[in-house]
Amino acid sequence: MLSRQTWRVIGTLGLRSAKQTFRRPQLMAPLIVFPTLLLAIQVGGAGRAVDLEGFPPVDSFLAFMLAGAMIQSTLLAGNSGGIALAVDIEMGFTDRLLAAPIPRYAMVFGRLVGTALLGLFTAFWFLAIGFVFGVQFTEGPLGIVVMIALVVASAVAFGSIGAAIALRSGSASVVQGMFPLVFVILFLSTAFFPQDLLQQPAQAIAEYNPLSFIINAVRDPVVFAFTTEDMLKALLGIAIIGALGAVLCARAMRHRLRVG
Amino acid sequence: MAAIEVEGLERKFEGGITAVDGVDLEVADGEIFSFLGPNGAGKTTTVRMLTTLLRPTGGVARVSGHNVVEDPAAVRRSIGVALQEAALDPLMTGRELIRLQATLHALPPDQVTSRADALLRRVGLTDAADRRIGGYSGGMQRRLDLASALVHEPRVLFLDEPTTGLDPVSRKTIWEEVEKLNDEGTTVFLTTQYLEEADQLADRVAIISDGKIVAEGTPASLKAEVGKPRLEVSVAEGTPAECEDVLSEFGERLPAKDGTMIVELSRGAAEIAPVVRALDERGILVEALELVEPTLDDVFVEKTGQHLEAADDESAPDPGTGEREALAE
Amino acid sequence: MGATMTANFATIGAMIGRSRNELLRVPGAAIPGVLAPTIFFLGLTAVFGNLRLLDGFGVESYASFLIPVSLMQGAGFTGAATGVNLARDIENGLFDRFLSSPAPRWVLLAGLVGAASLRSLVPGTFLFVVAMAVGAAFPGAIGLLVALIATMGMGIVAACWGVAIALKFKTQSAAPLMQAGMLTLILCTTAYAPQELLTGWLAVVAEYNPATQIVEMARQGFVGTVTWAGTWPGLVALAGFIAVLGAWALAGMRRTGD
Repeated sequence: MLSRQTWRVIGTLGLRSAKQTFRRPQLMAPLIVFPTLLLAIQVGGAGRAVDLEGFPPVDSFLAFMLAGAMIQSTLLAGNSGGIALAVDIEMGFTDRLLAAPIPRYAMVFGRLVGTALLGLFTAFWFLAIGFVFGVQFTEGPLGIVVMIALVVASAVAFGSIGAAIALRSGSASVVQGMFPLVFVILFLSTAFFPQDLLQQPAQAIAEYNPLSFIINAVRDPVVFAFTTEDMLKALLGIAIIGALGAVLCARAMRHRLRVG
Repeated sequence: MAAIEVEGLERKFEGGITAVDGVDLEVADGEIFSFLGPNGAGKTTTVRMLTTLLRPTGGVARVSGHNVVEDPAAVRRSIGVALQEAALDPLMTGRELIRLQATLHALPPDQVTSRADALLRRVGLTDAADRRIGGYSGGMQRRLDLASALVHEPRVLFLDEPTTGLDPVSRKTIWEEVEKLNDEGTTVFLTTQYLEEADQLADRVAIISDGKIVAEGTPASLKAEVGKPRLEVSVAEGTPAECEDVLSEFGERLPAKDGTMIVELSRGAAEIAPVVRALDERGILVEALELVEPTLDDVFVEKTGQHLEAADDESAPDPGTGEREALAE
Repeated sequence: MGATMTANFATIGAMIGRSRNELLRVPGAAIPGVLAPTIFFLGLTAVFGNLRLLDGFGVESYASFLIPVSLMQGAGFTGAATGVNLARDIENGLFDRFLSSPAPRWVLLAGLVGAASLRSLVPGTFLFVVAMAVGAAFPGAIGLLVALIATMGMGIVAACWGVAIALKFKTQSAAPLMQAGMLTLILCTTAYAPQELLTGWLAVVAEYNPATQIVEMARQGFVGTVTWAGTWPGLVALAGFIAVLGAWALAGMRRTGD
């Protein structure tokens, strides 16, 4: 159980992280503008995919794509959080924190609070796009709440990976270099197309990709209905990514403390 | 024809900022002319206008007889430029940079190699010529920057704070090179925030503050305007009154400082020996004697009310020819 | 006059030579420009490959349909990188060295975009090899030549855009704008599907976007035969983009002292 003081530290660092994020529109723009643009182009360019044999029955391609766009944005938010932490390391700000009597993990948790808020923002953004362009949410308000919760939890999980890379490398450009990998992971999932209609080997990989679990569960309240199986798989996916991120963060932090 | 002629030069920026506010100056052919002032005074802005990198918002400027606005290409053909940032490509070798510069200045291809070799030899970079600039020290980068500004044998050389950030030895090397260039006939327009640099190098100095020239002249004439050399004397206890009498014979007494008596020598540094003899004849034991010459900083204080070097946090270490000469103790 | 043109071409050559340094002397410098379009090509082929099964799509292989888009993307990224490098040179003062030389502004611009045009062949070549490996149709000699012209031409277009943005904002932080501009231009075409199968706003935009003609021009050999009717609109579009963006970039270069 974390002490009150620790919560306070996490809250303070989280607030700083959130302010940093939202005060720099040029950092937010790639997370919002690019996925939105891609969503618009893919809906217009591949929208006739709904006519393909085997495509799930959906109201619109946008309804199908919305979840993928949200998670894409969330992945980029995790990357962005990692970049911000790396900049803190490069600037020497983390030394200030390390020299303070705070738990080491508070540094990372504080950063993840900012990433979670960014995830929340992106969830609302794409929900708004959905509403504006007539997407029907089959599970109603409860479904929307579930979507938001899954997106925020995913942001924290992805953020932990970004934080681990930042702690290990100490370099913003290294974290930035992970950007293409975001798209590799997305293309190998059900972000943009149903699993059964992907080409091999993407189809085989997507079946086991934790990102697919998360995206399917976020998609369910929009076009299908909740399923316990999808929900559990999504939580498992988030847990796997989060656990991996936590382990990598711990090791990276130990490495950083050792080498200075 | 003057090398540089400037009338009413002005540069305003957005937000109502006037960086250069009506500057008039003339630099004769073959002169070393220095612009001295703190950071933000307008030195670099002036240089950028004269080198056609920035368009004036008022006034007229001519370099080598060509108007900087109406005929910038002709100006560029006649000038060499080494700006405040060394502005080098770390991936290139020194030789490649000189060759690039030679190409930019349309040197005939058959002359490029020999010219590059000669310049690298001149600035002592022959051994490092084929190493990447990214591995050069600050002094080497400055020398290379200077060499690349000379590739086309310019009539007028602009140097914007050429020794900022350099160690004393590197600074001296640059000074020697500038003097050599000037001896060969190149006009040099030099901006600096260092008193010694202007004092040592320049034939004439213009002191600039807040975009305006506040004083202009030779270093000696500028310093003579603000006062004569001062002698600061510390004597053994028990004899200050007598010492004051002696000193009064040689010039105006100035207020004492921490027990040290100060006299402004009416006939200059030549009075030091007579002062010492007079004190000796009276049996006054001198503990310390120091001659303090007026400096360009004193000129700056006189004109602007503040010190030049205090206006700037980045004062450079004195390369060795300081303004104070500690004399016999 | 002859001597001046010789000097100008020598300057253009020197600037292209300098640009080559980054590829040869910075380990991995070429990777981002090659990696991103390759990931997109392979990813989009894997994801949307079955779109070709739609009635009216008319191609055997989605990779064949998509590869010209990726070639344009590679050229787009290269052009954006040109802008970023220029912004870096502006920030560190190196560009002042060029501006204070007697080389005319158009010569400096020609050096920058010439370099970009040649560099766009690096991702282009890699993408072509990858495309052949995943089963895209070989476009034939003429088709390859036309695709090459489109790629290099798009490299010039993207470089003009990148240079104009760099001169306007004078900071490397404008990099996303340089990249996003080109990406948007290229994707708002028949990138994903033929014109008849596009939907909504994209159908309208792609119909009028001149970049669609460039993509279609490059696509000819990969999905069918090259014809003059399928080529000249792309050439006109390239010329138009180069004229407009080139003029903007040149104006920016002339205005640098303002």
